[in-house]
Amino acid sequence: MSATSVDDELWSAIGDPTRRRMLDILLADGPGTSTTLSGQLPITRQAVAKHLVVLDAVGLVHGTSVGRERHFEVDRAQLAKAAAQLEAVGAQWDARLGRIKRIAESIQRQRNA
Amino acid sequence: MEYDSIEREIYVDASPEIVFEVVSRPEHLREWWPDDADLDPVPGGTGELRWGEHGGDPMVVPMTVVEADSPRKFSFRWAYPLGAEPVRTNSFLVTFELTPAGGGTTVRMTEVGFREQGWEVAVLEAAYLDHAAGWDRFIPQLAAYAPRVVATP
Repeated sequence: MSATSVDDELWSAIGDPTRRRMLDILLADGPGTSTTLSGQLPITRQAVAKHLVVLDAVGLVHGTSVGRERHFEVDRAQLAKAAAQLEAVGAQWDARLGRIKRIAESIQRQRNA
Repeated sequence: MEYDSIEREIYVDASPEIVFEVVSRPEHLREWWPDDADLDPVPGGTGELRWGEHGGDPMVVPMTVVEADSPRKFSFRWAYPLGAEPVRTNSFLVTFELTPAGGGTTVRMTEVGFREQGWEVAVLEAAYLDHAAGWDRFIPQLAAYAPRVVATP
């Protein structure tokens, strides 16, 4: 339930499959430009640039000017912020399942006795 | 890997019938999840999860049973706004699938709805980064935990 406090714009930015794919590529290949990204995606450089603006606005990528191009890289701290939320949810389920196991096994032993 | 769900599997040394009771009946639910729970564990049955009875902020969360197929499958939606109808876009769907295995039961739990709630980046992160933020951290923890649970009298 604590995850409801997560920045909604951050989630919205990542909710788009094309933007997730872009982050995928940037994580795998390191910093890229709208030109290099569009070469690996079925969309135009202009469309990539628009998605980069959205990602940049929520801090998921940072751009650096190199000559006439902007190089973008993933902000791992911002990704980690989001990840921590789901990690917490997963940890809660691990704890619940551990309790389910303990309770069920206790009942089974009582019925066997 | 799905980017919008949590999936877990655990072996329980108890029959599927017993595990089904534990995951579906309110008197057991309150032992493994909230401080208190009401639930009519039949398809369409509704209930409440309540926290805050041991101090802390009171919280009431509604739930509605989707499937109750003893001793195989139990699923419910939860965490939708109080008074609202639970649908795909406003709730999480939790499913327990129980399979007989080795004298006990394999429990497979999935929780979906993170895409609709906008959480999927977290799973994306877990899939891409190889440091401790991902699922890999918890599987060993669970493996270490299970023998202790079994050993508890």
